[in-house]
This record gives sequence, C-alpha cells and structure tokens, in this order.
Amino acid sequence: MQVTETKFDPIALSILWSRLISIVDEAGTTLQRTSFSTVTRESNDFAVVLMDRKGRSIAQSSVSVPSFLGVLPILTKALLKDYFPLETWKEGDVVMTNDPWLCAGHKPDIGIVSPIFHEGSLIGFIGTIAHSPDMGGVLWGAGSRDLYEEGLMVPPTKLISEGKPNDTLFNILEHNVRAADQTIGDIRAQIAANDQGIRSLMKLMQENDLTDLQDLADAVINASEKAMREALLAAPDGSYQYSYDTDGDGLGNGCHFEITININGDEIHADYTGTSGAHPLSINAVLNYTFAYTAYPIKCTFSPDVPNNDGSFYPIKVTAPKGCLVNAQKPSPLGARNITGNMLHSVVFGALAKAVPEQVQADCGSACWCIVLNGEHKGKEFVEYFFLNGGYGARPNMDGEHVLSFPTNVANVPIEVLETDVAVRVTEKSLLQDSAGDGKFRGGLGQRFSFVNVGEKPLNISLLTEKTQTPAKGILEGKDGQMGSIQIIPEREFPPKGLDKLFPGEELILTLPGGAGYGNPSDRNKTAIAEDRILGYIS
Amino acid sequence: MKLGIDIGGTFTDFVLFNNENNQLYFAKTLTTYPDPTVGIFNGIKEIEEKFNFPVKNMNGIVHGTTLVTNAVIERKGAKTAFITTKGFEDVLEIGREMRYDIYDIFLTMPKPLVPRNLRMGVSERVDIHGNVVTPIDENSMENLASTLKENGIEAVGVCLLNSFANTSHEKRLGEYLSKHVPEMYYSLSSEIMPEIREYERSSATAMNAYVQPITDKYLKDFETQLRKSGFDGNVNIMISSGRLTTIDGARKSPIHLLESGPAGGAMAGVFFGKHLGEENLLCFDMGGTTAKACVIYEGEPEITNHFEAGRVKRFKKGSGLPVRIPVIDLIEIGAGGGSIARVNNIGLLTVGPDSASSTPGPACYNLEGEDPTVTDADLVLGYLNADYFLGGEMQLSVDAARKAIETKLAKPLGISIEEAAMGIHKIVNENMANAARVHVLEKGMDPRHFNMIGFGGAGPVHSFGVAKLLNTKRLIIPVGAGVTSALGFLVSPVASEKIHSHIMELNRIDWKEVNSFLTDMTNDGYAFLEQSGIAKKDAIVNRVVEMRYAGQGHEITIELPEGELNESCIAEIEKRFIKEYEFRYNRSIEGMAMEMVTWRVVVQGPTPEMKVKQFSTGVAAEDAYKGTRKVYFEETGYLDCPVYDRYALKPHEKFDGPAIIEETESTTVVGVNSSVQVDNDKNIIIDLH
Repeated sequence: MQVTETKFDPIALSILWSRLISIVDEAGTTLQRTSFSTVTRESNDFAVVLMDRKGRSIAQSSVSVPSFLGVLPILTKALLKDYFPLETWKEGDVVMTNDPWLCAGHKPDIGIVSPIFHEGSLIGFIGTIAHSPDMGGVLWGAGSRDLYEEGLMVPPTKLISEGKPNDTLFNILEHNVRAADQTIGDIRAQIAANDQGIRSLMKLMQENDLTDLQDLADAVINASEKAMREALLAAPDGSYQYSYDTDGDGLGNGCHFEITININGDEIHADYTGTSGAHPLSINAVLNYTFAYTAYPIKCTFSPDVPNNDGSFYPIKVTAPKGCLVNAQKPSPLGARNITGNMLHSVVFGALAKAVPEQVQADCGSACWCIVLNGEHKGKEFVEYFFLNGGYGARPNMDGEHVLSFPTNVANVPIEVLETDVAVRVTEKSLLQDSAGDGKFRGGLGQRFSFVNVGEKPLNISLLTEKTQTPAKGILEGKDGQMGSIQIIPEREFPPKGLDKLFPGEELILTLPGGAGYGNPSDRNKTAIAEDRILGYIS
Repeated sequence: MKLGIDIGGTFTDFVLFNNENNQLYFAKTLTTYPDPTVGIFNGIKEIEEKFNFPVKNMNGIVHGTTLVTNAVIERKGAKTAFITTKGFEDVLEIGREMRYDIYDIFLTMPKPLVPRNLRMGVSERVDIHGNVVTPIDENSMENLASTLKENGIEAVGVCLLNSFANTSHEKRLGEYLSKHVPEMYYSLSSEIMPEIREYERSSATAMNAYVQPITDKYLKDFETQLRKSGFDGNVNIMISSGRLTTIDGARKSPIHLLESGPAGGAMAGVFFGKHLGEENLLCFDMGGTTAKACVIYEGEPEITNHFEAGRVKRFKKGSGLPVRIPVIDLIEIGAGGGSIARVNNIGLLTVGPDSASSTPGPACYNLEGEDPTVTDADLVLGYLNADYFLGGEMQLSVDAARKAIETKLAKPLGISIEEAAMGIHKIVNENMANAARVHVLEKGMDPRHFNMIGFGGAGPVHSFGVAKLLNTKRLIIPVGAGVTSALGFLVSPVASEKIHSHIMELNRIDWKEVNSFLTDMTNDGYAFLEQSGIAKKDAIVNRVVEMRYAGQGHEITIELPEGELNESCIAEIEKRFIKEYEFRYNRSIEGMAMEMVTWRVVVQGPTPEMKVKQFSTGVAAEDAYKGTRKVYFEETGYLDCPVYDRYALKPHEKFDGPAIIEETESTTVVGVNSSVQVDNDKNIIIDLH
C-alpha cells in the first residue's frame, strides 16, 4: 500500500500500525478476563477502539462486534461536541453513557471512554462498549413497550473524575439493576481495559519517541480511506435497489426494508427510504447503529484486507427517513434493535449483488438468537445470556459455513458453563439436517438447541428469535434457507420475541435457520452433493 | 553418554553429550519420508562411524519429532471416530460459532478431525455436579462397538458432557471398548484434558485419538529398532511444556508432542542463558519451514495453556483447533530457509509462509525445486558456501539459485538478481522481527531489554539482521547452533503434570478432600518418575491452582502453599491471588469471593547437568581464518569478507564484523558495525554497535 505525505516510511508505519492493533487487542483481553457476565466473558460481546483527540478511530480490537466498533468514534465525537469539550477532560477521567442515540442503540450497551494524556496534554481517547447483563426495567429483550421500561438511562457522566469514583452514580446503578455484582463488575472490567490500553500506548510512544498521536493517526486513517476509495472506484457506478422482509414480531406483523445504494466514483450512499415505520415492539434501530451495520458489509465487500479505522467510513453515507424502523426517535422502544441491525447486511449484500456479484455472500440465517434467563441459583440472583447462531450464507466460490455468527460476532456459551450458572439441562445441540438453502454453492446448516428447566422455580426468560416467518434469501438463483422454529413441551404458545416464564420440567426446543444458497442448484458439483449426503448435511 | 534426536520438517538433528570428557558431538541428516526412522538410523550410523560411539554404549536417548504436528496440519492422522453424549455429536463441528476474521466473508473454519458420519452418540448423562442423571446404556455400547468395527475405525475419542465432574461413564466406555474392540485405540477426555468447556475438551480428545495410532506405531518401531541395535538405556520423549515424558506417556497422550521441537529450542535457551549469566533472553530459532521466538524471563520460559494446532489461515489466531495443553509460550512465524518468495498480484515481493521443505527443496538443492527460497537468496548473497553446506555433504548450485531468482523475481520486478536476493533476505528478517517484537510486547516487556540467542539451521544466518531490527545490543550464537533443539532435549527434566478440575469457593473448601486428591496426584507423579529411574527424594513438586473471582470465566495461576492445606492457608492464598491479579490488571476487587477451578501438580526430576567443555565434529584446523569470499551486505554491496572456521576459533579470539563463520550445521553471518568475541566455551558473542 502506498501512503503519501506521511512522516513514516512504509515499514515503520506497518510496524506501528500492527502495534496499535495489538494494544487494543490486549485491552480487549483484559476486559474479557476480568469480566463477570457470560455475555462478555464467554460470548465476546464487546469492542475496544483507540481514537485520536478528534475522536477519530485509529485502531480497533480484531474480532469484536462490528456495531460497537462503528459506534465508538461517533460517540466520542458527540461527547466532544455536545458534552465535554476538549479542554474539560482531565487526566484520570472516565466518562460513561448508555444513551442509545449517542451510544450503541439500546440501554444495556454501556460506553466507557477515557482520555489519554501524555506529558500533561490530551492526545487521544480509548473507549470500550460492552453489553451489560442488566440495566434495570424489564428483562432485556423485545418485551418492553417503550423506552422507559428498558431501564436506567445514564446521560454522558463522569464515572470517575481525575481518579475519584463518582460514588453517587455507582450507588444508583447498584440499586437499579439485577445481579448488580455482574453489571458493576463488568463496568470495572471496562475501566481496567481502558487503563491497560493507555499503559501499553505510553510504552509504545516512549519507545518510538512519539509525543503525539496525530501524525500516526493521519497516516493510518489516510491509508484506510485510500484503500476504500480505490475499491469503490473499481466498482461499476450505478443505482442498485433491493427489498427484503423480516419477521417483525413473528406473529404476522412483519417489517419491510427498502434500500437504494448509489455508487458514484469513489463514494457510496445507502438510503433506506421505503422501509417500514417504527415497530411497536422494541426492535427499532437508531441511525448510529444503522450506520454501523450498513458500513460493515460495505467494508467486507470492498476493503476487507486493510485494517479498519475512521478513514474506511469517510466514503460511506447512510440516510434513512426520520422515525422509520432504522432511524428511530424517542420514545420508540429499542431494546432488541440488534434483530433489525443484524438484518441490514442482507439488504446491503442483496443490492450489491447487482453491482459486484463476486464480492458478496448470500443471506445468513441471522439475526443471532438471544436467550436471557433470570432467577435465583444457589441463593443468588443471576442474569444469564446465551446466544445461538444460524447458518452462514453461501459464497460465490464456496459453501456457507455451518452455524457461524454473522454479521455480529458472538460466541456461544459452553453448555457446561451454562449448566454451572443456571439450573437448566441442555438436551440437544446439533446441526440441523436439510436446513441450508441449495445453490451452485449451498448455505451453511442451522442448529437445533433444546434445554429443560431442572430447577424448582420458574425461570424468567426473554427470547429473541428471527426468521421463523421469513427465510434467508438466496441470491443469483440460489435457494432460500429453511426457517427457524420454536417449540415448548408440554406444548403451549410461546412468544418468538418477548418475555415469558419457563416452568420447572418444561423443555424449550429451538431450531435455527439455515443460510441461503448462491447460484443455480443445477450447477452444483455432483461430488459435493454426494459428500453432503454421506455426512448427513442433506437427506 | 546421552543422545538427543530431533526430527524437523527438513532435517533430523543429533546431539551427543559425552559426560566422560564433557564433549558435545553433532550430526545432521535429511528427514526421510514416509518413514523418518530411516533418517534417524542414518544419523546414528554416521555418529558411530565418525566419532566411534556405538549406540549400545549410550545411557540415554531423548527424542522429539514434528510427526504429530504434521499429521494434524496435513490431515494425515488415523481413521478416527468420536463418541459423545447422545444429542451432542455436532459440538465438535459447531465449535464456538465465532469468526476469527470479521471482514473476510470468504473465510473457512477448520474442518473437524472426525467427520460427521463417524461421530456417535451414547445415551447417558451426568450433571454439572457429577450426579448421574441417565445411566449409560449398555445396549447402545454394543451397537457402537459393532459400528466402529464395521467402519474399520483405528482410533476413537470419547468426550461426554460434564465428564470432568464424574469420569465413571467415560471409564466404562473405555473398558468396554478395550474388551470388545481391543485392536482400536481410544482416548478419554477425562484423562487427556479434564477441564470444563465441552468443545475445547472434545477438540483435544479427538486430536489425541487422531494422532495416536501413527505416533504409537512410530514410537514402537523406533524403540524396537533402538533395542535391536543394542541400546538398553532410558528413552524419553520431549513434550510441548519443555519437559520429558516416557515412551509410554507419549503413546498415551501424543498431543503433548505437538510442540516438542520448539520446546527443545526454548530449553536450550534456558540452559545457555544460565551458563552465560543472561537471565533475560529472546530465543530466536529459524529452521527450514518456520521460525520461532520465545521469551526467557528471569531464567524461565512462560508456559501457557492456550494453544491451537492446524490453523486454516496460517498464523491467524483463532483459525485453528484449540488444544488446551501446557505449551511453552512461543510465537511461530511462517519464515524459514525453505520459505518461497514470489511477486504477488499487486506487484510486491512477498516471502512465505509456504515452504519448499526438503522435497523438492530450495532451487539450489537441485532436487527439481524451481521456486526461489530464502536459502537461495542467502546463497546468492554469499552468506552460504555452496561447497560447505552440511560441511560439504550436500553440494548447492549457485546457478540454479540465481536462475530461479532471476526468472521468478528479478525479471518481473525489473531489478538485479542481487537486489531481489537482498529483498528476500530483508523481508524475511522484517517479518520475523515484527512478530518477535509483538510477542515480547504482549507480555508487557520491552524487546530492547533482551539480548538475543540465535539458533536453528537458518537462525545464525538471519539472527544478525533480526537483532539489528530489534535494537538488540548483544547476540549469542551458541555452540551447536544448527542443532539446538536436540541439545535442549538433553537439558530438560523428566516431569509429570496431573490436572484435576473441581470448582469450589475458597471460603467453603473441604480441605480434607483437597489434600487427598493433591496427595494422589503427587504420588502418581513420583511413580511416573520412577519409570525413568528418578528417586522420590530427587523430585521437585510444584502445586498450583487456577483461580478467579467467583463469577468470572478466566483464571490466573497461583502457587499453593507447601505441605498439608487447611483453613489457615486461606489468607495466604488470597494474598497471592490479589498480588498476581494486581500485577496483571493493576487493580483488585474488594470483598469479592474467590473460587478455585483447576488444580495442577507437576512432579519434576532434576534438570540434567551438562558441563560442556568443548565440542567437536572432527579435527580442527590450526587457523580459523579461511580467507575471504564475496559477500553482499546492504550497506556496502559485495565486498571481500573474511571467512572463519568455527571449529578452529580459540576461546577469547576477537575480530570485527563483517565476517562469515562456518560450521557444519549452520553459518553465522556477522554484519558491519559489530565486534565478535569467542567465549571460554566457544560460544560466539556478537556486540552490535
């Protein structure tokens, strides 16, 4: 890669760049290792971003959740503009907020931003967002009717001022959330991660005689921007439309997405005009979040190899009518907005398949399904999250992987860890035969997962599912994937999105959707079909 | 007299230590495929003939091999089945559902070692506390046994849910299989890796089964042939933690051999560090296919339990199969003498990670290899001597090297052959220095505070360049630099490590139970050492526990107080935990309960003493100075560079760089602006200015 007008030669820049990335990864490891909730420690639902003093991202943790990575610089820029101007930050400050419009689109995602000082001057910021196990209100999920049922909202506030903790805020948090040990423990883990990142950055600066981050930030941001612009320039100009339907509440009130993507020279603009209005269920997404999940598949398509930072986003514009499903306004409920965000890649890839069919994948069996259990175990209240993923979409040159997280990137909670934390017994976890969409290349299989409440008390359960009414859509004549399903034994109604109880002895059986196919099934290689049959992927 | 034998991808190395005269002897042969014992006995024969030491006179042999790693990478293991709790057969394939690269939509996940049609469920269930919920179904075991026979299965891995809490069902299956399918190998997760998290435990167990038949056959052949040749001493096998096991131990848990060669290199680094009074060293080991860097801090390498084998995207974290076994923490880089150089699709010169290995080998081997490699570049630049490779046993062709570099690189790039060769040399050094730097930094240390020790067949050729990039002040090229891993085998202790996973809160521990299993684990360790002739009184016992704040998911390792444990130890354990936690994370949490997760007992024999006086591969010349030859350095271009014979160098001899120092197994390149001195024991010490 050629980098122009920087003080760094290409070798020095590549070394410093990879070190910046290892600094944020190391901070991420600290967060994961010192956290308490399964959502952070087992499933990796967090991100760390290093930013310059303008709030532009320079480096981000490697395998994190894309939405958080996209949102952190937007949050920090907003903090600087409207809440804490540059000159008001002091060494040892830590700012916290979970305001959905500033941060990651729903209250459980807590943003923690720390300033970085070097020899007395502010040189940048490091921020983390992690999904906190609880923020009060109703149990997290799609069960809330408005924003206020979704718990506590903390506007941007100094959680720590020049090293001194804001005891009032900690106190309020502690008295408003379930299993406070976990929520507070995770917030402390976020602070620890920021501190770790700052310490490592100081070492890097000292070793390389750097007094400031600005030149380095300019160099990496310019390089990433340039790579993105060059890739866009190589794509055919034009206007590409796609429309797409999703479950909505899963009970007949679905959602509709419309996208128009304009590629014009080295810029790209995605517009969601025509998309459904706000949904009564808490699945509405704020524009920050929509931007992050629209920019993400664009980055995957055009510039997957160059490390991501602010520069990758400059050529990308995302717009949506105010008040619609993907640009929600107060007081629309937002709790389960990830269900909507996780769909945007389908819409973006669908449109881009018309421009650059060799650079996109078919639809995945997303969104990621989330299950939250709450109750008492061994005399202590718990909130236990776990995630299940569907099949991955087929690619232009290969099949989709079975059961893989996309577009988010969260791991499952090991069965043995789940059974340690909660009185449930898992009865099956297996690949779901015949669930993938056929095609020249087939999608990946979904999964079947079931568990029983083996405790003596009912468990509060919040369930978030998708694609039980609408399938993953095949592209370029590829077939759709199989839809998911929810069953409870003994049989009764169970909301696909929302709150319920799982009574002792009841078993919940979930089948997750398969990924969609790419290209015409009649072009599929015969050996591949035979192999799928031997392995029981197809019957 | 003790012999170390290390089978690498390209060469098999031999180090013999004669404790009667404190001399070291070295040999190197090409690794033979498909049967590596051929190469071994070629080498043994060479040692017998050259130095007149018959193998039957030796008291001990220590062996390490890449066999296991290669079987996993190349998917050349046995036909393996996998048995688990019914309903969970796909856990091994589903993994953790997470991607290792978030922007690459074309990524592929590692295929499981056992395909879906060979994974079977048995009706049984144990809960998390170890209570039997569903007894194991004896009838379904019968069906399993016949299915295994019908499919011609050679090995089976068994991993049942929660088996770390209650091993009885796995044991029952093991008994049944050994009785009804006696010719088949089986691995039980409760013996291989008795720790919580079913996917990681399944992965290790399946891998152990997968490599067991070939390792077992190989080790049996190796031992039989050794005994036939009259050898009646102890045979030990090097494992990934830098310790030695017995042949039986290796046959039972072959996955512990995954990193045996690299671990040997690190242990040699420990030995030389102690010997030279260098407590903190960066070991740099470069062979035919990969390079490794390892940190030795205060005389010890760090051991980690996080390891992956068979990565699908080479060197990309998360793209391999997890194996939670104790491994010396080292970073592996796809850069070796055989690494192939090419011009990539955007017109840039790249080197590796793929290697020409020993067949077809670098172009200069003249064995039909057409791709230019790092070795070809080193030859063109004058670093290697075409007539003195492996002491002249293998003739290299400068013409073939030049031709490969010219056609594949220099012409397409429009540069000279020398420039292209220098480009290869520099890029490979840069790749290695970057990786080593990140590895040191990830440990929170500063690479400039470390001196470097360079070894491996290609290590001494590239160490100087890498040291320069890392701003290292001093570089040591030890005696036997071309065969260091094998040398490390001779200075590693025999040890056993026992693991017990049992989660309990620190304040509610049943100390009687803890003392009882710790004693059992310690006694097992003593018994193991006895098999290698080590008495209980000579053993060192190290007991640790992995613990965390209650509710966390990741542990840190704390050394347990000595002797019998009871309530009065709680304060001391808490203190140790808080100290370590604060060291790592700069803080601790007040009033939070702590819990113990995994208990480990290492029972270790003494570290073998080796007082090296001198080393020999034959008769040394009178004068070390052999004349000059044209050698290319970046700063100067070609110049007439002095060449020395390493064997003839005298203790305390001094000269300035640039210089080339030749020995049979390797060549040391000394760049400009440096001074060289030979220490008392003939190690080469290079100071970079």
